[in-house]
Amino acid sequence: MLRQVLLNGLIAGSIYALVALGFTVIYRTVKFFHFAHGVVYAAGAYLAYTFTVLLGLSPLLSFLLASASAGAIGVGIDRLVYLPLRKQKAPNLVFLLASFGVFIFLQNLIQLIYGAQVLSLRTGAVHEGRRILGAVITNTQISILLVSTFLCLALWFFVQKTRPGKAMRAVADDPIAASVVGIYSEEIILISFALGSVLAGAAGILISLETNLTPAMGLEAILKGIIASVIGGIGSIPGAMVGGLFLGLAENLGIWGIQAGWKDAIAFGILILFLLVRRSGILGSKSTTELP
Amino acid sequence: MDYFLHLLIITAIYVILTLSLNLIVGYTGLPAFGHAAFFAVGAYTSSLLALRFGVSPWLGLLVGACLCALLGVVVGLPSLRLKGDYLALATFGSAIIVYSVALNWVTLTRGPMGLPGIPGFSIFGFQLSAKWAYLVLMMLFVLFTYSVIRRLVGSPFGRVLRGIREDEIAALAMGKDVNRYKILAFTLGAVFAGLAGSLYAHYITFIDPSTFDVMQSINILLMVVFGGMGSLGGSVVGASVLAIFPELLRFLGMPEAVAAPLRQMVYGLLLVTLMLKRPQGILGKYRWE
Repeated sequence: MLRQVLLNGLIAGSIYALVALGFTVIYRTVKFFHFAHGVVYAAGAYLAYTFTVLLGLSPLLSFLLASASAGAIGVGIDRLVYLPLRKQKAPNLVFLLASFGVFIFLQNLIQLIYGAQVLSLRTGAVHEGRRILGAVITNTQISILLVSTFLCLALWFFVQKTRPGKAMRAVADDPIAASVVGIYSEEIILISFALGSVLAGAAGILISLETNLTPAMGLEAILKGIIASVIGGIGSIPGAMVGGLFLGLAENLGIWGIQAGWKDAIAFGILILFLLVRRSGILGSKSTTELP
Repeated sequence: MDYFLHLLIITAIYVILTLSLNLIVGYTGLPAFGHAAFFAVGAYTSSLLALRFGVSPWLGLLVGACLCALLGVVVGLPSLRLKGDYLALATFGSAIIVYSVALNWVTLTRGPMGLPGIPGFSIFGFQLSAKWAYLVLMMLFVLFTYSVIRRLVGSPFGRVLRGIREDEIAALAMGKDVNRYKILAFTLGAVFAGLAGSLYAHYITFIDPSTFDVMQSINILLMVVFGGMGSLGGSVVGASVLAIFPELLRFLGMPEAVAAPLRQMVYGLLLVTLMLKRPQGILGKYRWE
């Protein structure tokens, strides 16, 4: 039983890690909480539903198309809402509230288009899972783990090795110094929103292979994504991955034996504990989390 | 007519909530994103006392307010050390935990089934049942809340709060115990939200967790921001407009499945537009920093 709990935690954790990763990529360059990230995740899932179930495209093609569209939505939010706010040099909380507004708007737009009832991406029969190390895992769950691991590694490679990735790190470290050496920060912000939102969309699609789609699915995702980022160390890419896995495991161990409904309370309990005792998170350095 | 009175009563409850949150957000400058938590605690406390022990709603109102004060200190003491986004996140989290308790502690709160049959208020043995009687009661409470908060913010205590909002370090340098003032302001706001919760529960006679979800917290915050931070008149206007306006959509004859998301979309759009065009709200004097 413990093994099954750990496996479930790992799968939930890998999704949280993807959301947290996308959130972190964006947070690093803009330094505010992009709450509407959650609705991009939901949009990814609903677009995948549109492409596979309504238009009948192949799953792989839909996955790619839906993730790319999620990226476009993220960039659109940035251009339409955040860019004007950046020009006004608005304080962080204004960004956060505007982000809440975008979130509410798009979530209800999804509900208006697709209705409030649950939808499912699953087609065909449900197969019995395989037994590995005393835990049952289905093929879908294996692909979730593989795809999310691949995306994490791909992002890590992009940020560490490629030119735009290095520019992103430069802007994250010191935007003024970056602009001095000729890095155009608006371009980097654009890339960050595109990348982060593709990751959110992909996470939304992956989770909808496993559970049903509801218009409100983005709220839980962004809350868990933010919690994972904070407990991993805000602004740290490995931190987001570690935080996501930690949160997934902690939640599933926490609800072992009690009702699953307490999950959110456990997650926020952990967050508040971290905020009070170790705000820099598991992997964050003290300097990145200085108070304003 | 009854529907119109009902609408006014609900608006009055939102006015109390908005005024109390304005004390925290607008006057003290603390981004509290979880006001629905206190609304819930007030509502559940006096309802449960009335249903389980037959306690009078008036006494329940007081006990609920006291519990909210306690919770305000318990939440405020640790989280008010945080600032900005982190404080917003911590208060948001506390609201989710309270919501989670209301939803999952089924033996106490009956969870999603809610609490039906909550008794109404009675005065000198007369059960209040007419809508207009409740309206008068609510108006008295609005007046009470308004005058208390008005006196508070006009007093030397209120001046310290505004001092903290404008420049916390300067307030510290003046020898003010900033943390204590913050916790006091937060707790006072919590107490009034608790009163609003009890009033709501005994008027509507049925409560379930969905009234106190995270979107409710955001709605109350939107009312404060829309009306204007640090403006009591603004809070009255903000709460009234945003409580009454969505009901107008109902008269356009749209089915609820369309009207409900549309209403929320308008809220979302309004929030974005406000932040872009007028972050201090229609009557506000203070901007976020």
